Amino acid sequence: MKKKVLSILLAAVMTFSLAACGGGDAPESSSAEESSVSEGPVVEVSQAEFENGRFTETRHIRVEIYDRGNDGGSDPTNNKYTEYIKKGMLEDHNVEVEFVKVPRWTEVDDINNLLAAGTAPDICVTYSYPTIQTYADMGGVIDLSGYVNQYKDVLPNLWNWLGDTNINWDRDPVTGKLWAIEAKLATSNRVVTFVRQDWLDKLNMKAPTTKQEFEDMLVAFRDNAATLLGADADKMIPYSVSYDVGWRAATLIESFIDPEISDKEFYINGFDDRKLTQNGTKEAVRLLNKWYNMGLMWDDFALYGSGDTTEDSMMKAGYVGAFTHNWDYPFRNGEDSINANLQRQVGADAKFVAIDCFEDKNGGHTKFVPGPIDRKIFFPSTNTEPLASMLYLDWISAPEHIKYLQIGDEGVTHNVLEGGAIQTVAATGDAIMNSGMNIDYTITCNGLNLGDAKLTSLSKAYTYAANEPELVQQADKIAGTDLRVGKNVNVGAIEAEAGVGDTLSAKRDQTYDNAVVASPDQFDAVWDEYISDYLSAGGQDIMDERAEKWEKFFGSSDMLP
Amino acid sequence: MREKIKKQKPLVPVGKTGAKSYLKRYWQLYALLALPIIYLIVFKYAPMIYIQIAFKKYSIVKSVWEMPLAKKYGFEYFIKAFSNNDFRYALRNTLTLNLLDLLIGFPAPIIFALILNELCFKKFKRVVQTIAYMPHFLSWVIIYSLALQLFAPNAGLVNMIIKNLGGEAIPFLNDAKHWIGTYIGFGVWQNFGWGSIVYLASIAGINPELYEAAAVDGAGRFRKMWHITLPGIKPTIVVLLIMNLGNILGSSFDRPFAFQNNLVMKVADVISTYVYRVGIRGLQFSLTTAVGLFQSLVGVFFLLMANWISRKLGERGIW
Repeated sequence: MKKKVLSILLAAVMTFSLAACGGGDAPESSSAEESSVSEGPVVEVSQAEFENGRFTETRHIRVEIYDRGNDGGSDPTNNKYTEYIKKGMLEDHNVEVEFVKVPRWTEVDDINNLLAAGTAPDICVTYSYPTIQTYADMGGVIDLSGYVNQYKDVLPNLWNWLGDTNINWDRDPVTGKLWAIEAKLATSNRVVTFVRQDWLDKLNMKAPTTKQEFEDMLVAFRDNAATLLGADADKMIPYSVSYDVGWRAATLIESFIDPEISDKEFYINGFDDRKLTQNGTKEAVRLLNKWYNMGLMWDDFALYGSGDTTEDSMMKAGYVGAFTHNWDYPFRNGEDSINANLQRQVGADAKFVAIDCFEDKNGGHTKFVPGPIDRKIFFPSTNTEPLASMLYLDWISAPEHIKYLQIGDEGVTHNVLEGGAIQTVAATGDAIMNSGMNIDYTITCNGLNLGDAKLTSLSKAYTYAANEPELVQQADKIAGTDLRVGKNVNVGAIEAEAGVGDTLSAKRDQTYDNAVVASPDQFDAVWDEYISDYLSAGGQDIMDERAEKWEKFFGSSDMLP
Repeated sequence: MREKIKKQKPLVPVGKTGAKSYLKRYWQLYALLALPIIYLIVFKYAPMIYIQIAFKKYSIVKSVWEMPLAKKYGFEYFIKAFSNNDFRYALRNTLTLNLLDLLIGFPAPIIFALILNELCFKKFKRVVQTIAYMPHFLSWVIIYSLALQLFAPNAGLVNMIIKNLGGEAIPFLNDAKHWIGTYIGFGVWQNFGWGSIVYLASIAGINPELYEAAAVDGAGRFRKMWHITLPGIKPTIVVLLIMNLGNILGSSFDRPFAFQNNLVMKVADVISTYVYRVGIRGLQFSLTTAVGLFQSLVGVFFLLMANWISRKLGERGIW
């Protein structure tokens, strides 16, 4: 008996002491919750602390940076370009910058974990607005509306570069709260289809201009595998997509959507940027399903996840005839780009060229591109240096800083050509850029921006080291044909969207993948089954709420004002 | 040790001084005990405080005590989970895959141990044993990449051979039914060698005289196996079976997660991956805590049931 009492006592003492230790770690309730309706509160900074845009005492901020894990790349948190930023921030604003790396291809998961643990960087960047919204609803994000307005005069570069459009893109029309600032997309180019020009030449074919011609071309690739690939004929893949069919067949899918679709309809179905629920998508996937069952596509596409390089390797080795991807995909990464690899491994004439062959119902080639927004920048409520963080955003938006980060030093990462155009050269060693034009560091800017519109357009084609500028120009031109640019439907937060983004995009991919590989007679059944699953998992609620909000703000009008 | 303490008990006088001298005499033992107890408290009991998230509306900035109670007397998230298709799929898949694992994966090490035990060529036995243990040390991520290299429909070695022999590629990884087979198969492959160790140890403990006596009575190999070896290791089998049954709704995370792909999610999504996807990636902590709690309760129920049945049948339970 005595033993029992004693052991219980001992256990109790231990529990108590541990509980006492644990008490200190419990997350403290933050004061970020109480906020005014019109403009968010700001942490006041006295004149003694902050003079002429400079802190009198050194401040310290942590900034998120994407880690792409490139072969031969440098440490994304410590290299020539981070040094440039750190030095500049310290000199101009007396702010010390520390970079925190987050893997690019799992950024949403990672930033979630950091936020949940309370260790997120002061400046966070993500492509997922729903993630920000979810945390904002829990009181985990700082309202920026006060900062961007009250400190407008110390943030000239930010306002000049992003302007009202991007800064207030996400501002709630009712409460006035601003959880995130949208970076600017300097180019609206999105997705383009590429084809092996040398294969077309070998088979005496012209580049396809319609869906039917494209299909005929794929059939010709399949049937002439022995001619085109010799001993590797069994590795032939006429048309390659990845598990992310909605992205990797985007131009095809968009060609089935009505080019004159109303803003309202497009918005209501617009939660999924892969256009799963838009009218016409099903027919596009039916065509893919046909091609898949004709043996024109890569059998294993659904087995490899995000960030896997198997498909890239096949493109580089020359087994792939055509694919759809980001408009500059085959030109990215200089010497390691797909086209540069093709030329090395297959032959001097081997190359992917851009084509525009998916006609819409009017015979045009409509491409639905999003508005000029890119990554979303937000400050978690654990950020104790919001002003210093705003100054960082201002610094990184200054035209001269963007220019330097994008093109680096003359003679090292770029040359100035006759006529002034800037040509990027593949750098080695310390000067190597982990992301094309250091897009990961210029967090407020995606796309070439040399501060001068003329110079920028002149140089665009020369920014892909080790690639033919003509091919880049062609892709650029096609990517800019028949654009329908997305508009900002600002109706405040859609509650049904909170927390379901990841689930729904997983379901969307499952829908696409399973529909593509279904047997043709099963196609309708499979598609309908997966779509109803998608809708019941939250997709329908989102559409209903979007429709309701549209009516609240725009009444019976079908188009935006 | 227990015996020793019992014997010395009368020496300990009753009362306050008694406790003192008792502690003085045995504090080392308690100090030793402290380590595992601290482990249990820190990693098993302290986290239980957060079970209440299942009944509350989660907020990242509030402490768990301050979060408001969820709707419907706190059961909002349980109701939500059970009306959610994905959760029902995950529940069904967890049960199916675990039952199949139990059905096929549980007897495999026993059979393997029996076979190994009959080998008389010691060196060969050791080599076989070592080879069979090895997969246990591979992580599931590596096993999946092996599976992909071997069984991918287009580029997998096995399918390439089948195709070269004029057959049709078998969708080991991209068709729901085949996938289940592949998944279970790799599970058995990874675990049967390692799982057999405990049975081999238990077989080694059987009195050899029993075998000799049986041989004298004219029993053959299979008779001996059936009447001596199997009854000899029956208690071990029962204990392991109980522990496995307690795990019927639990599932490892890395194995299904590594093997999943978009084409088979309908049969491959299990509770642990569902919790990860919806809870951690989708930030619905309350919902998934509710799911986790439900999972644990069912696990405890199965454990108690199995224990009760085994005691009814005259075997030793876990406690």
